[in-house]
Amino acid sequence: MKFLLFTLLCALLVVFLNLIAPFWVVMIAIASVATLVRPSGWAGFFGGGVGMGLAWLGQALLISMSTSSTLPDKMGILMGLGSGLAVFGLTTALGFILGGLSGLTGVLFRNLIQKKPSDVYLG
Amino acid sequence: MKILSFLSVLLLTCVLAIGGANSIGQLPPLAFLLDPNQGFWQNSYSEDQLAEEALSLENLQAPVEVVYDEQLIPHLYAENELDLYRAQGYITAKHRLWQMEFQTRAAAGRLAELVGPMALELDRMTRRKGLAYGAELGIDYLKKEDPATLALVEAYADGVNQYIGQLTDARLPIEYKILNYKPEAWSAYKSLLLLKYMSDMLVGDRDLEYSNLKKILGKAKLDRLYPEFPKENDPVIEKERIWEFQSLYPPKPDSLNYPEETLQLEALTQPIEGTGSNNWAVSGKKTKNGHPILANDPHLSLNLPSLWYSMQLSTPAHTVKGATLPGALGVISGFNHDIAWGVTNATKDTRDWFKITFQNASRKAYKYGQEWKATEFRIEEIKIKGQETYLDTVVYTHYGPVVYDKTFKSDRQDVNFALRWIVHQGNSNEQKTFLQLNKAKNHAAYTEALMTYAAPAQNFVFASKTGDIAMRIQGKFPLKWKEQGKFFMDGADPRMEWQGYIPFEHNPNTLNPERGFVSSANQHPVDSTYPYYTFDHSYEHYRNRRLNSKLAGMEQITVDDMKALQYDSYNLQAAESLPILLNLLTGNTNSSKDAQKYLSDLKAWDYFADPNKKGQTLYSIWFAETVESIWRELMDQGSPVVRPNNYQTIALMRDNPEDEVFDVHMAAGIQTAHYHVQVGFDSLLVAMKKWEADEGTYEWANYKKTTIQHLVPNFKAFSVPDVYTGGGPGILNATGNRHGASWRMVVELGPTVKAFGIYPGGQSGNPGSRFYANFIPIWASGDYVNFDLKKKEDQSGILFKTILN
Repeated sequence: MKFLLFTLLCALLVVFLNLIAPFWVVMIAIASVATLVRPSGWAGFFGGGVGMGLAWLGQALLISMSTSSTLPDKMGILMGLGSGLAVFGLTTALGFILGGLSGLTGVLFRNLIQKKPSDVYLG
Repeated sequence: MKILSFLSVLLLTCVLAIGGANSIGQLPPLAFLLDPNQGFWQNSYSEDQLAEEALSLENLQAPVEVVYDEQLIPHLYAENELDLYRAQGYITAKHRLWQMEFQTRAAAGRLAELVGPMALELDRMTRRKGLAYGAELGIDYLKKEDPATLALVEAYADGVNQYIGQLTDARLPIEYKILNYKPEAWSAYKSLLLLKYMSDMLVGDRDLEYSNLKKILGKAKLDRLYPEFPKENDPVIEKERIWEFQSLYPPKPDSLNYPEETLQLEALTQPIEGTGSNNWAVSGKKTKNGHPILANDPHLSLNLPSLWYSMQLSTPAHTVKGATLPGALGVISGFNHDIAWGVTNATKDTRDWFKITFQNASRKAYKYGQEWKATEFRIEEIKIKGQETYLDTVVYTHYGPVVYDKTFKSDRQDVNFALRWIVHQGNSNEQKTFLQLNKAKNHAAYTEALMTYAAPAQNFVFASKTGDIAMRIQGKFPLKWKEQGKFFMDGADPRMEWQGYIPFEHNPNTLNPERGFVSSANQHPVDSTYPYYTFDHSYEHYRNRRLNSKLAGMEQITVDDMKALQYDSYNLQAAESLPILLNLLTGNTNSSKDAQKYLSDLKAWDYFADPNKKGQTLYSIWFAETVESIWRELMDQGSPVVRPNNYQTIALMRDNPEDEVFDVHMAAGIQTAHYHVQVGFDSLLVAMKKWEADEGTYEWANYKKTTIQHLVPNFKAFSVPDVYTGGGPGILNATGNRHGASWRMVVELGPTVKAFGIYPGGQSGNPGSRFYANFIPIWASGDYVNFDLKKKEDQSGILFKTILN
């Protein structure tokens, strides 16, 4: 459940925050949300990754469909990837890695600061 | 343990985030580039999808309305000129910012800043030629002499800068995203620099090569192989023109000593062969509707984003439309309600070299007559991406910058040559000329507008609604004695100095000539009766004769006839030389099946370089290989030289096939033109065998491979290769592999002006836009888009409107 919630939050962050801020601000935000939502380590990684990766893929698809631009193909050739399809793939993969690592960073940070208070609480 | 795993993941995340936001080596900043919200995906939108009803442009006195037609050509309606040019700057930047910036960086010798050490030598050369120095003087001149024009140029710069100020990451042109840099502020200086850059693109000289040739061949042979006027001279200004002014032609001083050494310098880049242009105007008495028709097609490097950007610029006092140069104000080749004008390069040697004798190694003084003159030092700071700044000291003499010295492109420590060039002189005002032309209403206003124009010299064609047609060769031309500046000169001898300048009133011109048309195609400006020294190596000998013979024979001319003439692919050089080649091939020893096939293709060819013609391909290779063979020994003797032009080579083959120039000293026996034609033919067979094996068909378009190339040649995906179109160098449709008609315009000056235009590109500078290259197929097939002047209230054919306020 937390995984789904976290994934959804990450995707929303990309959709709204990324509009006005560069990707690294979104990464910090994903890490912060991971600290608050407290998914498990794996859920943090995959939630952040799937959230950001899918959001980027969705946005790229939306732009591509609404513009019918040949730019993805041109970029594919320019970047040595061969085709526009590979550019979609790379965009998704990069979004996944950046989002996933941000989520994991947030989770691990939470674990770090959580340790002492929980010890105190347990006495 | 937790700390360790946290820190290692944090580190990895940070590395990826920072790595993704920055270039690594030649790689672009990947995450920034691929982010759909800010990166390249955002450049997928075409301009009409991003249309805004209103945009903020400060410092306007009244709102400016911008109406885009269906081709994305903006029509600007302003209340006054300051507002108009501020808006022109803003709108041009909106569609062409990266290109404007890139071109002026190239002109300033600042490419190494972007691409690293590979551009250092190019930057040094650009700076040593003194383009930036010329532009600085130009700004000083405007400050002192013409603050009114300066105010307009500054308004334009303000428009560009306001656009840059409003630019979001998402809307940043894609080239910035890939190369990972940001636009910097525009300035009036950059606009002037761009105009100087045009001089650099269009002006060459062969002083180095001619100096070497004189030494190798001797003066008599040089004059025979490289005559200053061709036998069939068909100049820009009709031969019948009588020169009524008192010439200031200076006498040649006696017993001059030229620098004697054979020179091994690396020659400056020259305008590429095939760079040239056509323009003409026919008077109403030759046209079907009785109105003058004007046509212009400048041939330049075929690039994307295109060099040209189309606009209509209107105030209540004037309306002008045509091709603008992004970065410069007004329209460069265009028309208004009353007149039309166009430009071609007026070739003439205006770049000369003077040998400098320094007093000592400090280079603080150089010999001039009996005295030592002081030099000035200009330190050029060349920033290099990823390296320390390079400091280049350039010595300036009163002639100009010492381009070649011990540190640059010279194999000898004692060789110093200064460049004298009109571009280094501040007292010219090309920008004003175009602003005045935009508003000119008649021949007198056109002539007056040209009076402030110095460089690059142009043949300005003119036609007016009142029925006048005219041509004026305008530029600041040094006053030279015979052969002055043809060879490197001795800067220590004051008699070698330019003798002043030809008065503008003496520049060749004609108004309403008897023959009913005016025309220019980069040929000799005048015939030999013009009372001033006229020389250049690169005059055209074919396009001009084809054009004039067609125009002379035509009556009842229509706009469609003029369009067809711009697209004319008749290869006059081939028509005159292929029969000679075929004739000299008698006794051809090669009777293979291929040889017979090619010969029958050639014999069946009608000399039109249409895209599907095979004869044009075969001829172009055979002729090039033959010429190569004829002049091989001359070209291979070690120092830079230039071949006699094709026209002279063909004349030699035709008139003196047994001339001693055809003899190959390295080969046994005595060779004649036959020998070289056979060598050329054998080379053709070898080349074709390879071509047919690798590429298949040898139809002309497939062989020529016309390519409209992105300004960054590495960005191949943004280029348009293999455009199916005819023409070639020396042909009216001068479209070769990388050069050709960069803008075509035909204007009929009737009661309502009818105009058509096209260029190989599109109005958008964005490779993701549908307007990036949409003109190319239209251009390639010889068609045009409508360029009629548009009234503000005209609501038809509108893509979208934007109000600037």
